[in-house]
Amino acid sequence: MSMSSLGWKLEAEAPAGRGTTARRYRLSNGLSLITAIDKRAPIVALQTWFRVGSRHERPGATGMAHLFEHLMFGQTESLPPGEFDRLVERTGGESNAATWVDWTYYRLSLPARDLPLGIRLEAERMQHLVLETGPVESERDVVTNERRERVEDDVDGWLDEQLMAHAFTVHPYRWPTIGWMEDIRALSLSEIRAFYRTWYAPNNAVIVCVGDFDEPALLDLIASHYGSIPPAELPAASPITEPEQTRERVVRAPKPIATDRLLVGYKAPGQDEADWAVLEIVATLLAGCPSARLYRRLVIEREVASSVDAQLTPFRDPSLLRLAVTAARGHTADEILGLIDEQLAAMAAQPPSKAEVEKAKAIAETDFWTSLVDIDGKAEAFGHYEAALGDFRKVTQLAERLAQVTAEDVARVVQTYLRPDRRTIVIAEPESGDVADEEDAA
Amino acid sequence: MKPLVIVEASPDTPLVWFDVAIRGGSCTDPLGIEGLHRHAAMLARRGAGRRDRAELDETLDSLGAAVEVGVSRDAVSVAGLALSRHLDQVIDLAADILAEPKFSEDEHARLLRETPQVLDEIRDDDSALATRWFDWLCSPGHPYGRTSLGTETSLTRIDRATATATWKREVVSGNLVIGLAGDVDDASAQRVVTRLTERIPTAERPSVAAELPAREAKGRRMILVDKPDRTQAQIRIGHLSVGYGHPDTAALAIAEAVFGGMFSSRLMQEIRVKRGWSYGAGCALRRSRLPHWFELWMAAGIDVAGPAVALALELFADYANNGPTDDEVDFARSYLVGAMPFHVATARQRMQLAVRDAVFDLPSGFTAQLPEAFAGLSPADVRAACRAHLRPDDAVTVAVTTAEQARGPLEAANAGVLTVVDHDEY
Repeated sequence: MSMSSLGWKLEAEAPAGRGTTARRYRLSNGLSLITAIDKRAPIVALQTWFRVGSRHERPGATGMAHLFEHLMFGQTESLPPGEFDRLVERTGGESNAATWVDWTYYRLSLPARDLPLGIRLEAERMQHLVLETGPVESERDVVTNERRERVEDDVDGWLDEQLMAHAFTVHPYRWPTIGWMEDIRALSLSEIRAFYRTWYAPNNAVIVCVGDFDEPALLDLIASHYGSIPPAELPAASPITEPEQTRERVVRAPKPIATDRLLVGYKAPGQDEADWAVLEIVATLLAGCPSARLYRRLVIEREVASSVDAQLTPFRDPSLLRLAVTAARGHTADEILGLIDEQLAAMAAQPPSKAEVEKAKAIAETDFWTSLVDIDGKAEAFGHYEAALGDFRKVTQLAERLAQVTAEDVARVVQTYLRPDRRTIVIAEPESGDVADEEDAA
Repeated sequence: MKPLVIVEASPDTPLVWFDVAIRGGSCTDPLGIEGLHRHAAMLARRGAGRRDRAELDETLDSLGAAVEVGVSRDAVSVAGLALSRHLDQVIDLAADILAEPKFSEDEHARLLRETPQVLDEIRDDDSALATRWFDWLCSPGHPYGRTSLGTETSLTRIDRATATATWKREVVSGNLVIGLAGDVDDASAQRVVTRLTERIPTAERPSVAAELPAREAKGRRMILVDKPDRTQAQIRIGHLSVGYGHPDTAALAIAEAVFGGMFSSRLMQEIRVKRGWSYGAGCALRRSRLPHWFELWMAAGIDVAGPAVALALELFADYANNGPTDDEVDFARSYLVGAMPFHVATARQRMQLAVRDAVFDLPSGFTAQLPEAFAGLSPADVRAACRAHLRPDDAVTVAVTTAEQARGPLEAANAGVLTVVDHDEY
């Protein structure tokens, strides 16, 4: 059968590393498929990305998108409880899932010969998941324990949650993807079922297949399993405008830790905007390598911190450039903040040298290739860009944007975005009696 | 005496990974000077050849490259990643680190100030803290109980001369395993190995014995690591078992998969799926050259920590005595054989596995050939391995949690005599 007679339309293709081409097809019911053949090993990565994340929840029902990351491995109309995992594990394959603000995705890593099984399982759970009280309550308990492990008993998880909660005042990015504990406990079965019917549909999904497979056979298989699934009427996506932040926000709390922990988030543009790439270079220059400015200043020269990290979140809407610092014994978050301000002021006042910017670009080039080394990494890169930004080709376009950043761009974005009035600061301080000062260290 | 060299070529990206393993590792740290190998390796990375630390960092970063040192129980590693067009320059820098580290007095002093703060970070992380205490107390006197980071006390005993001497004694040609993977061909691989090793002394592998304790700990024990404000208990349960490469390695891999190595495994089903007590629950035989731990883990809510430990021990005892069913062995074998291609899919994975096998003194291809060993095992073989190597009656339990709430239920968990320690004691 021809591609078109199966209902497929080839929409785009682009290089996906040395000797590999990635293609995007679309089925008549709106299902997207991205393929990239890689025959180095007899395995495939089959990922199903849904354009639904925690941003699509409502206040009071947070954690819903993430709960599905658990429920989707449960019973379906043709699979008894536990059968999904048993079928996958018997092949030697693995399954997992992840949820974030803009998307949820389900990952199957399978021996190449078992790709038809994977497609059958994914099509089944897209349409026929059984949502009943017993399994939902069991997974609700598991999720509350996951939250305890990752947030309540983890200072980094707590810092992250507080940063998002205070950096965003209107945007749904303000609540945690895992959900507030009281919301997780209160999610109703009827609302869970409604969420599934609303978002789990072919026209809200992107299948990514990377590895050792025959492309015409894959198109045939997917068309036969998904072709008859009707598209859903998706809620209209209305733009959400987070008000401009005009003053610094600070949150402090005591925790059972040894020294201060500091997380600073500067409002940044979304990943699809031109300045996001420049800020990615800035993050590298600040703390992305052993010779980075903040690392050298805070950890090596002044010894006020034991670790420093800079990350730019890859969000569709406003992102955050996050600086995470652990204070050294005898030093405080406030002292560190002062030194961060000094470094940012210097970078804003005087563009970095061409050599310094070229250094960050070289690191970005290595990172780009590293992300394409294995089939799971490739599939994740394509899935993220297609689901969050609408086009898998932006993987390579971002690499090109990074290569074009100039020293003047760096100074400009530091002046524009990395200002105290655009930042939110979260500080965890040792509880009384846990403070380790320099005398203790000696 | 030449180093052992492993090359896995793959031209699909313009990247080359290299890993120089120096046999020895933290299990050969002298008693009372735990942390010595890590200290020496970290110090070697902080200035070498004609470059001080800042110049070395700057040069590597400018090439988009990374060279990192690490220490495991059985080896020190100098590992790197380079764009293939910069490979020679990066290899020369790695060769400086191996052959001509500066061991600067300033960096030595700075590192001694820094390392206790890494201990602080572990104390702040319940999972890492549980593992640190478990490693220390699982089998008192065992070389794998020596913390690679060191302790507040042992760090004060590390001097620069000893670190330098340790490096010079162990970085000799016969003690190295060199792995290369990625965008290299035979000619460039040969060139890289020559550049890496030409300044390193040619010598036999030094004789460094890691002595096993004469007697193993018997009976169940429990250590409650008391930390305030916990909502969960990070739990580790286990005992000393066998080394990777023992004749029962394949049988124990199947045993491990059935009990706690898959989502369908017994621990995951009983602890998470049926009861929702923990986000995850599993077990593993630690892969090491010498006999190492068989370990169970979970993070149970503080309100169910006692019952969770009791259930895990009950399941463990039943499993050790009766082993897996025929169907379970068949299922786990299918899983492990099917999973092997994922572990050897990339050149870097193949190289890392081969380097590990060599560090463990195993025959070439030992891990990659395990599927053939799985095929030759009967369910009775696996059950026999369970009876021989799983010892629930000698299990040590470590729980990082808040004693005020959890002590009573944990004392009732049939885990042996309970000792409470403060979370920042070690």
